[in-house]
Amino acid sequence: MPSSAPFLPPAAAADPVIPHRATTVPVSTTKRLLPVACLLGLALSSCALMPLRRQPAAPTGLGAESRQQPALSGDGRLLASLVERAGRTTVLLQERQSGRVLPLRHLRNRQPHSSPSLSWNGRYLAVVVQQGGRRQAVIEDRATGQQHPLFLPAGQEPQQLSLAPDGQSIALELIQAGSQRLQLFSLSGMLEPDRPPGLRESGGGPSAQP
Amino acid sequence: MRALKRVATASTAGLLLMGCQGGLQPVLGLNQQLSQLGESQSPSLASDWLALIATRPGGRAQVQLIDRRRNAPVPLLGLNRPDSLPISVAVDQRGELLAVVRLRDDRSELVLYRRSIQVSQPVPIEPAAVPSRVSISADGRVLAVEVSRSGLWQVDLLELP
Repeated sequence: MPSSAPFLPPAAAADPVIPHRATTVPVSTTKRLLPVACLLGLALSSCALMPLRRQPAAPTGLGAESRQQPALSGDGRLLASLVERAGRTTVLLQERQSGRVLPLRHLRNRQPHSSPSLSWNGRYLAVVVQQGGRRQAVIEDRATGQQHPLFLPAGQEPQQLSLAPDGQSIALELIQAGSQRLQLFSLSGMLEPDRPPGLRESGGGPSAQP
Repeated sequence: MRALKRVATASTAGLLLMGCQGGLQPVLGLNQQLSQLGESQSPSLASDWLALIATRPGGRAQVQLIDRRRNAPVPLLGLNRPDSLPISVAVDQRGELLAVVRLRDDRSELVLYRRSIQVSQPVPIEPAAVPSRVSISADGRVLAVEVSRSGLWQVDLLELP
């Protein structure tokens, strides 16, 4: 496929091809739209196109508030995002479906938080916090209540991070000498794996299957 | 004697620092590969994959997907276009689905790229909003998209079949 070719013909590009199916759309409407969507899908790239179902982010009980930097657990059950609490950017951990807020122990008074990232079952939450005059990456283990600060050499500060779903490695976006660089670190000597059920039992998730 | 005390103090401090760093080890092979990509940002890590946005000196920002087992980028045919600029990327556990927010024709758009068939699917945001960041669950079933809508930052959740 030539990389410079437009993906959609102009007519299709002007009109969204795959409308989201909101959960509130009546079934009869969905049935009427389905053949149209299928025909368009076939015309473009057969099974490549997938209908998407839209779900509003769970409410936080404070009405329509600003919410940024979402991060999903590997199984999609939990959502971490940043909200404003008393004027401070704070990470909020919730069950995606119900909106129930889950407690975090170690992050209070270390705002502003940024770049949250969750492991597979949500046992680990990694986030960048303020530590004195510096930004610092920390990992909270929700199963044990432990906190793991990640110490970096002087002159390096984390901007963004991404925790591997199994919790065995982390990618840090570091600012060093004015440029952005990614560095990967192994956490295998620090954290137990947090794997999908069926591979191994881990805190925060359903029981493992043998 | 004073010099010896200083050496001992420095050694103790070094050991303490190493103790604090315990468990955080750089992954040297991959970091060497990353250093060759130029400036890099927006990491999305899976067990075997690392997606990121890299900008070589004098070049354009491009989405890169690195196979961690081989410490090498894999081709993403059709994803990086000369008329678009990626600003956020996320990858699922299998390295099959990449969700990308990119600027194209002065507009921000969300696309879902399926690597096995090298096809990008535009994902419309409804009600209309400007996407700026994306996260995908490792199981590849849910997207969480940060959008700007009516002057407010919001998160849209999209379930994939």
